[in-house]
Amino acid sequence: MRKVSISLLVMLLFAIGLSACGAAAPGASTNTIKIGINAPLTGDIPKVGEGTKYAAEMWLEDIDAAGGLEVGGEKYDVELVIEDNEAKAESATAVTTKLISQDEILVMVGPQSSKQAVPAGEVANNQKTPMVSPWSTNPNTTLDRPFVFRTPFLDPFQGPVLANFATEEFGFTKAAVLYDVASDYPKGLAEFFKSGWEELHGEGSVVAYESFTTNDTDFSAQLTKIKDSGAEFLFAPQYYNEVALIVQQARELGWEGPILGSDSWGSAELMSLCGDACKGLFFSTHYAAAGATGATKEFIDRYNEKYGYVPDDVGALTWDTMLLIQKAIQDCGTITGDIAQDRQCVRDAMAQIKDFEGITGSMTFTEEGDPVKCAVIVKISDAGEFEFYKQVCPE
Amino acid sequence: MTAINSKLSTGKKDVSLFLQKLWEPFSVSPMLGWLIGVLIAVLLEYTVGLYVARMLGLPKIPVLFGVLIMLETPILFPSAVLYVLIIFIIPIALIARFTAPLTNTLAGKLIDVQPWLAVLVHLGLFYAALHLWAEINDYRVLVVRLTLISIILTLSLNVVNGYMGEFSCSHPGFMALGAYGASVFTLFLFVDDRTFGEALLPAQLGFLMFPLGLVFGGAIAALGALIIAIPSFRTRGDYLAIISLAFMFIVKSLIENLEFVGGPRGLGGQPDWANLPTVFAWTVICIWVTNNFVKSTFGKALNAVRDDEVAADAMTVNTRQTKMVAFLFAAFWAGVAGGLFAHVLRYVNPGSFGLQKLAEILAMLYFGGLNSVVGSIVGAVSFNLVSEALRPLEILKWIIIPVIFILVMIFRPTGLIAFTELNVINIIRPKNKAAVPQNVEVSQ
Repeated sequence: MRKVSISLLVMLLFAIGLSACGAAAPGASTNTIKIGINAPLTGDIPKVGEGTKYAAEMWLEDIDAAGGLEVGGEKYDVELVIEDNEAKAESATAVTTKLISQDEILVMVGPQSSKQAVPAGEVANNQKTPMVSPWSTNPNTTLDRPFVFRTPFLDPFQGPVLANFATEEFGFTKAAVLYDVASDYPKGLAEFFKSGWEELHGEGSVVAYESFTTNDTDFSAQLTKIKDSGAEFLFAPQYYNEVALIVQQARELGWEGPILGSDSWGSAELMSLCGDACKGLFFSTHYAAAGATGATKEFIDRYNEKYGYVPDDVGALTWDTMLLIQKAIQDCGTITGDIAQDRQCVRDAMAQIKDFEGITGSMTFTEEGDPVKCAVIVKISDAGEFEFYKQVCPE
Repeated sequence: MTAINSKLSTGKKDVSLFLQKLWEPFSVSPMLGWLIGVLIAVLLEYTVGLYVARMLGLPKIPVLFGVLIMLETPILFPSAVLYVLIIFIIPIALIARFTAPLTNTLAGKLIDVQPWLAVLVHLGLFYAALHLWAEINDYRVLVVRLTLISIILTLSLNVVNGYMGEFSCSHPGFMALGAYGASVFTLFLFVDDRTFGEALLPAQLGFLMFPLGLVFGGAIAALGALIIAIPSFRTRGDYLAIISLAFMFIVKSLIENLEFVGGPRGLGGQPDWANLPTVFAWTVICIWVTNNFVKSTFGKALNAVRDDEVAADAMTVNTRQTKMVAFLFAAFWAGVAGGLFAHVLRYVNPGSFGLQKLAEILAMLYFGGLNSVVGSIVGAVSFNLVSEALRPLEILKWIIIPVIFILVMIFRPTGLIAFTELNVINIIRPKNKAAVPQNVEVSQ
């Protein structure tokens, strides 16, 4: 028994000693601005989380190199609190709550996919903490939530943009759509495209409106129908892995017309999966990597050099999100240390931002916290690069 | 070799002897004493917790007993351990030990008056402690609520996979049915929203009617279970597993194609009614009902069906009805859990109820142990805590958790606590020497 008590005592003393070290270590100082990153680093879409994380870390490097973030004449250290939300809705909510109540972040970046951003936005808005999603396109993410913002354009904008493009560029009148009915993003975009197209060409101008379910790999039935429908081109708002299959199978079945895509095509993986079949096709996106100039090129080159691949749109959007947050914090003017007040201040500054020049275009926020910005139409060149073709802006 | 072995075994013996000795003075403390200790410790944290944390160099109160700090800022971990020692372990141990004579008498008297009263008092104390503990931080509240929902889910799956001995994979499907059922109920009746238009009834009434909504969700899940049970109970084993897996995908596709509940976009805007007391109450009811269910004659019949269906049939057990009732019972509780889940997150989408969810529920179940109510609780709580604690490791987390599982399966193939019955009176009875033989006689 004595031995036991002695060993317990020793352990206790040891712990006290160590905790003294801990106390001496730099804790949370008032001169630190904390920014939370809520990203899917594991789970279904790890590449998206990685893009966000890398872009945010690159931004932090810049800040650190400048000796901190200057707000109202004073330099503040910036700390990124990066948390993994496993691409699950409940984890995204838990992470959001933790970042806000435990880590006391000033602003949160993320979550990315809408199934996480919608519930996380609810928490952030209730806790009066600004949140900026760099990827979510579901209208519900920001709807009636003054504290929630996003940097990508919305599907109700992108759908008509593509409809206009196909009309003006090729003079087509009959469209076919192939989309994943079980997935939030393609389904929404397909609907917006359809309504936009029918507005231009009248009822029934979408001659084939075919769907499939996530993880399907054989589209021959739908593609045969589309081929027989007399459509002049095909719109496929799918993710890059499905795009490769759709394009290849369409060509095998003898489909000659162009295939149009959306921003979900914009991944470096697309060309390695799709190969020659995808060359010469068009899609709309946030920025064009090949032939980029100025700040965009600088970002792409830096990212490519550091991490070994050309960043996807989520990387570029996160980069813009970080700069946007930086601007909002600086516009706010003072960091009082009272976290509730500072969050309100940053939120107000964010809503005021006008004509912010990002690498994915110029942005002005609407009342809902959605950006008004231009879309870029990209052509896949014969070298397999995503080349800038045209810019389409909202009227 | 033998020398090393014997050395190892003596080392093991030393540790267990040490633990035994450490435990010895506390073996006389009844549950009542422990709960009072916990309550006082939580009060202590509530009043001076922040002050103590600051003194130890911690920026804030360690949120989950320092398990988060352990990986995020290891240098602060000793302080967190010390904090837990000062605020929780030492006060609880002291109070439990030194009030033992008093609490033993009290516990004995309570049980003598009315066993259910004693249980209620214990539950009340436990809830008070839990509530105060969670109050400190929103993150704690959310983690506790999600953990409690996991307990309901795991427990309900245990009825099918454990007590009934079939391998069912349709639980996320039932959960989805319950989540959407309860959400439609509350959104349609009590909330002005875009999907269903104006509320039919005043929102004030809604909170009182919320249990009805959960029961409605559970009933829809049970209906789904009935639909799958009729054709699939002609099969057993692997075939049932495949059919139930198919059912899960059918439910997911169905909801994805139902426009009026939002399709793949999901359904949001549920009122914030699944607060901590509500979720706690439902969890307690679920544990109580399930425990009684599996200990009843019916539960024994279920076990008989599991062990040998033909023999059970010969012994006049109506096997088909038994299986059906158990399956519907499990689906009902999965539906209730789904309803609570939807109202905690205040958003549901069909993508949440896929294979990932299934893997999680199965993991919690097999980790905790089949055929055991306690096992399910232990499995759900430990899985949720480990999952939260290891989050900073990112991708490594999904290597460590499976490794833990493989180790558990090697050393305890049936899970941590399998095949044990939950005897509530045994847990809360007085632990002093005078009372023990008496109670043993009573129970015999």
